[in-house]
Amino acid sequence: MRGFDKLAERFARSVARGTSRRSLLATLGMGITGAAVFPVLPVARASTHPGGTPHQPVTSGNPQDPGDRTTCDYWRYCAIDGFLCTCCGGSVSSCPPGTEMSPITWIGTCTNPADNRAYIISYNDCCGVSSCGQCLCNRNEGDRPQVRTQSNNDYNWCLGSESSVYNCSTAVIVGVALEQPK
Amino acid sequence: MRWFARLCSTALGVAALPTLAGAAPGTGTAPLPEETIPSVTPLPAQWPKSWVLINDLNFNAIVDGRVVVVDTASADHPLKAIVRSAQFGNSLYSAKRQEILTAETFYSRLTRGERTDAITFWDMKDLKPKGEIVLPGGKRQLSVVYPHLFQFTNDEKWALVANFTPAQSVTVVDLDARKVLNEIDLPGCSQIYPTGPRGFSSLCADGSIFSATLDAQGKVATSKTIKTVQDIDNQPLFSNPAMVGQTAWFISQKGLLQGFDLSGEVAKVIPGSFSVGTAPGATPEWRPSGWQVINSDAAGRLYVLMNPAGKEGSHKDGGTEVWVIDPAKKARVARIALKGQSIAVAVTREAQPHMVVSRADGAIDVYDAASGAFVRSLGATVAFSPMVITPVE
Repeated sequence: MRGFDKLAERFARSVARGTSRRSLLATLGMGITGAAVFPVLPVARASTHPGGTPHQPVTSGNPQDPGDRTTCDYWRYCAIDGFLCTCCGGSVSSCPPGTEMSPITWIGTCTNPADNRAYIISYNDCCGVSSCGQCLCNRNEGDRPQVRTQSNNDYNWCLGSESSVYNCSTAVIVGVALEQPK
Repeated sequence: MRWFARLCSTALGVAALPTLAGAAPGTGTAPLPEETIPSVTPLPAQWPKSWVLINDLNFNAIVDGRVVVVDTASADHPLKAIVRSAQFGNSLYSAKRQEILTAETFYSRLTRGERTDAITFWDMKDLKPKGEIVLPGGKRQLSVVYPHLFQFTNDEKWALVANFTPAQSVTVVDLDARKVLNEIDLPGCSQIYPTGPRGFSSLCADGSIFSATLDAQGKVATSKTIKTVQDIDNQPLFSNPAMVGQTAWFISQKGLLQGFDLSGEVAKVIPGSFSVGTAPGATPEWRPSGWQVINSDAAGRLYVLMNPAGKEGSHKDGGTEVWVIDPAKKARVARIALKGQSIAVAVTREAQPHMVVSRADGAIDVYDAASGAFVRSLGATVAFSPMVITPVE
């Protein structure tokens, strides 16, 4: 885990620097920032399958990683915005077959209710297949206008991938945060 | 396809048409007249001011995004036409040019292959494409529809296109000459707010606003930065302002209104930001909420979507009321209760203006702008993800 800690620290520090120093943003933009994204979702959320049967629950089976990965309430989704890959042929940490995982990601910090640790979550998008259309989730806590690139979930973060066509979003654990979230 | 259509018509004509019970064929009434094939519904030479354009992100198939042309005065035929606006497309409407312009992204094999970014010119008389400009580099910014990623300048002879790779820049395009003029690096700044006769301003990540004037070749002639025009941590401004002439009224996530005068060569802060106010009955408080969260009418009043459950993260949920603000008096002049939680608001330029909102469930509702009275709902009949509403002028 030590390696992950360092990775998380590097991500966190990079993002922190980006928020306060405009000059670093261009550099930030070249590679660190991140990912997933989407929006407005009340509209799509309401109209995707109004009144339809909800997805069957998908859980990890591990009490230390609790919750239904097909619902917006799952702990890792605290800053996600898009279709949940668990409902699209992939999983919480893996893209569906035929897609490409975006190498550029947006990072969130979410608290796991089972062990009360704050984890760094990387919301890599899956790209190259048209909109999944299932299990849309949009949470905007901490979302800021597009001017603060790395804190905005309205960008299509299928960047650096072969195709910019967006399919769904993952929520991958990349480490334990050094500081507790607000 | 023509032979197939003719075959079908013939077959239909020959097939024994069922007659109305009890009525002998060929007696009593004249047959229905023959109808012309082919037939395409014409558009009026002058589009009525009850019409609006609505950007439909089409979330479940973003590659097939659209702009829909909608008659808000028609309860039974509201959808007039569809203009393609593919893959996070942006659009511009110009009464002066009699054109709709779309800035789009395509792949040669729909989801894969060679990427092409292009501006397409759609003639308002028949909505057929009459030209295009290919944008170089495959770098057009793809995001949920923000109108200020694609804007006119230079008296609508030029357009500016936002890029995001994620390095940020602006492409300057000469629409009449059908050519790209220049690309301007814009590190740390986003969105394009046309400023002065030929130039633009952008909001920057350090809280500043940057303005540039452009020379005849589309290069930056002069520029200026004004520091600290917004507090992004505590009072971040929504990126979609209400335009009153060349004054941009931005609203913050907590309801602070800040004006910028964009009529000169560089942006000027209008002194004296003010709050939209508050009202009882909220838990925990009223805050602006929506996508196109603020807009203006022809008289310069501001219409703000407000949500009574305002808190951190509520800013895109949509509003249940519209608060009408007179920016000259810095006062709220009306509250309009909505039929449903709504994410976009606009006011038509009719003699008797109507307020049009798109609801979170995709429905479009129409209100009398002066009285706030509900007039009609168009239902969820025109768009899947109605994000931005532009009134016809």
